[in-house]
Amino acid sequence: MPDAPSPEMLSAELDILLARNGITVPDTRRATVMAAYADLRQQIALLHGRYGAAAEPANVFRLSPMESQGDAT
Amino acid sequence: MDTQNLSIAGMGAALRSGEVTAEQLARDALTRVAARDPALHAFVLVTESRALDDARRADQELRAGRDRGPMHGIPYALKDIYDTSGIRTTCHSKLRIDHVPDQDSVVAAKLRDAGGVLLGKLATHEFAIGGPSFDLPFPPARNPWNTEHITGGSSSGSGTAIAARMVRMAMGSDTGGSIRGPAAWCGLVGIKPTYGRVSRRGVFPLSWTLDHCGPLTRSVEDAAITLQVLAGHDPQDAASADIPVPDYRAGLERGVGGLRIGVPRAFFAAAPAVTPEVLGAIDRTITLLRGAGASVEDVQLPDYALFAAAGRVIMMPEAFAIHEADMQTRLMDYGEITANRFVLGAAVTAVDYINALRARRELTDAVNAVLGRYDALLTASALATAPRFDAPVDSLSSASPMQTIPFNVTGHPAMSVPVGLAPNGLPLSVQIVGRPFDEATVFRIGRTVEQVTGWEEGTLPTFAT
Repeated sequence: MPDAPSPEMLSAELDILLARNGITVPDTRRATVMAAYADLRQQIALLHGRYGAAAEPANVFRLSPMESQGDAT
Repeated sequence: MDTQNLSIAGMGAALRSGEVTAEQLARDALTRVAARDPALHAFVLVTESRALDDARRADQELRAGRDRGPMHGIPYALKDIYDTSGIRTTCHSKLRIDHVPDQDSVVAAKLRDAGGVLLGKLATHEFAIGGPSFDLPFPPARNPWNTEHITGGSSSGSGTAIAARMVRMAMGSDTGGSIRGPAAWCGLVGIKPTYGRVSRRGVFPLSWTLDHCGPLTRSVEDAAITLQVLAGHDPQDAASADIPVPDYRAGLERGVGGLRIGVPRAFFAAAPAVTPEVLGAIDRTITLLRGAGASVEDVQLPDYALFAAAGRVIMMPEAFAIHEADMQTRLMDYGEITANRFVLGAAVTAVDYINALRARRELTDAVNAVLGRYDALLTASALATAPRFDAPVDSLSSASPMQTIPFNVTGHPAMSVPVGLAPNGLPLSVQIVGRPFDEATVFRIGRTVEQVTGWEEGTLPTFAT
C-alpha cells in the first residue's frame, strides 16, 4: 500500500471505507475524524510489508480432541 | 473508629475483632460518597439499600460463624460496564441508559459470593473508550488530586472513588490501559492481570482480544486480595485460562533480593512526550530496587510504535464490529469522542487487521524472550502527569501519553504502582510487567516499590468530611 497518500487521496479513501460500512460522518466532525484517520493510517503503514508468508497471525488456532456427546438421535 | 484509611485486610481484622461492623463500614463509605461525590462525579449510581443489605448480611454471617474470606463485609464499587442483576448498567451511554441486566457479571457474582458490599456503579468513558466527555448522560469523573485535571480512562470513576477514599477497591477494565491509566494519574495501584486470568463474561466488551478485567486499589496488598477472589477459570468465557491460581499474598513481603528486572528504556526515554519528572521517578525507583537487592538492567524490545500500532489496529475494528448496527443508525446518540473513535474501525481493512495480528505474535514472542531472562519488566505507565480537562489528549493516538497498550497486545500481566508526587502535586508511577500468569511476582515487586519509595506512608488528597 502507498504509505504517504495526499490529503485528497486520504479523504477519498476514508469516504469509501465509511460508505462501505454505512457510516456518514457529520460535516462538523469531519476535520477531527480526518486527523485521527491520518494518524491511524500512519500506524497501519508500520505493519504493512513487514511479514513474509510464514509469519502467521496470533489467532491461528489449535483444536483439542473431544468426546462424543452421546447418541445422535 | 476512622475507617477511611483502613486497608482491606485492616477492615477485615476490625470486623473479626468486633471493633467495627460491616454496616458501619458501609455507612461510613456512603457518608463519604454523599459528601465528596457531588464535586467529583465518581458514581453514576449509588446502591445504598443494596449496600446496607449486603452489609447486614455480612454481619449476620460473621456472628453466625460463616466467614466468606478477606472481602467479607468490604465496601467496593463497579465500573458501569459490569452487569449487575437488577441494577442499571449504562456503559455511561445514552444507548444503554435504561439497561437493567437480569444476571450478574462473573466478577460481580464472585464479589457478592465473597461477601463484598456493593456501593454502586462508577463513571467510565462511554463504552470504555469515549472520554472525558461532557455530552454524555453523566458528567466525567474528576481527579481528586486536582479537579481541573482528568483521571485518565476509561475506568475514571474507579480512580476517583479510591483516590477520594470513598472505597478501597473498585473494578476497572483495561483494553489499552484503562485500569493502569487512572491508577497512574490518581496515585493508585491498578493491575491488568494476564489475558484470560479473570472472566470477562457479563462485562460489556470494547475489543474482545484486548479486554481485561481487574481492580484498582489503594495498595498492592488490596490488589492481591481482590485478584485472589476474582481469578480462576470460567468455561463460558472463550478466553478464560484454566491455570491454577497461586496464593497472591504468600510472597508479598519477600522483597526483591535476587530478582532480575529488565527496563525497556527506549519505550519511554525516546518518546517525545516524556517529562523529566517521569524519567526521574523511574530512575529513582530503579536505584531503590537495586538497593533492595534486585538486579536491574536496560533491555531491548521492538519499537514502542509497533506495539501501539498493533493495539489500535486490533481494537478499532473489533469495537466497530460490536457497535456496527448502532453506529449506522444511532451515530448521534453516542458522545462525540466515542463516535469519532469508533468510526475509524470502519476504515481498517481486513489486511490491516491481519497484519496487526501478525505483529501481535511477533511482539508477544519478543516480550516472552526477554522475560525468559528477566523475572519482570519495569517501565513507565504514563509519560506525564494527568492533563487538564482543557488540554485533552487522545489516548488512542500515536502521540498518546499512556504507555500501557503493549501489554494488552501481548496479554502479559501489568500493574501501575505510584512512586511519588511531581512538583505540580500530581502522582507519578511506574509499570511492572510479569510473565504470563505470574501476577505473584508483579505483586511482590510492586509491594517492594511501595515500601522503598515511601508511598505507603504518603497521603491521599484530604477532604473536610
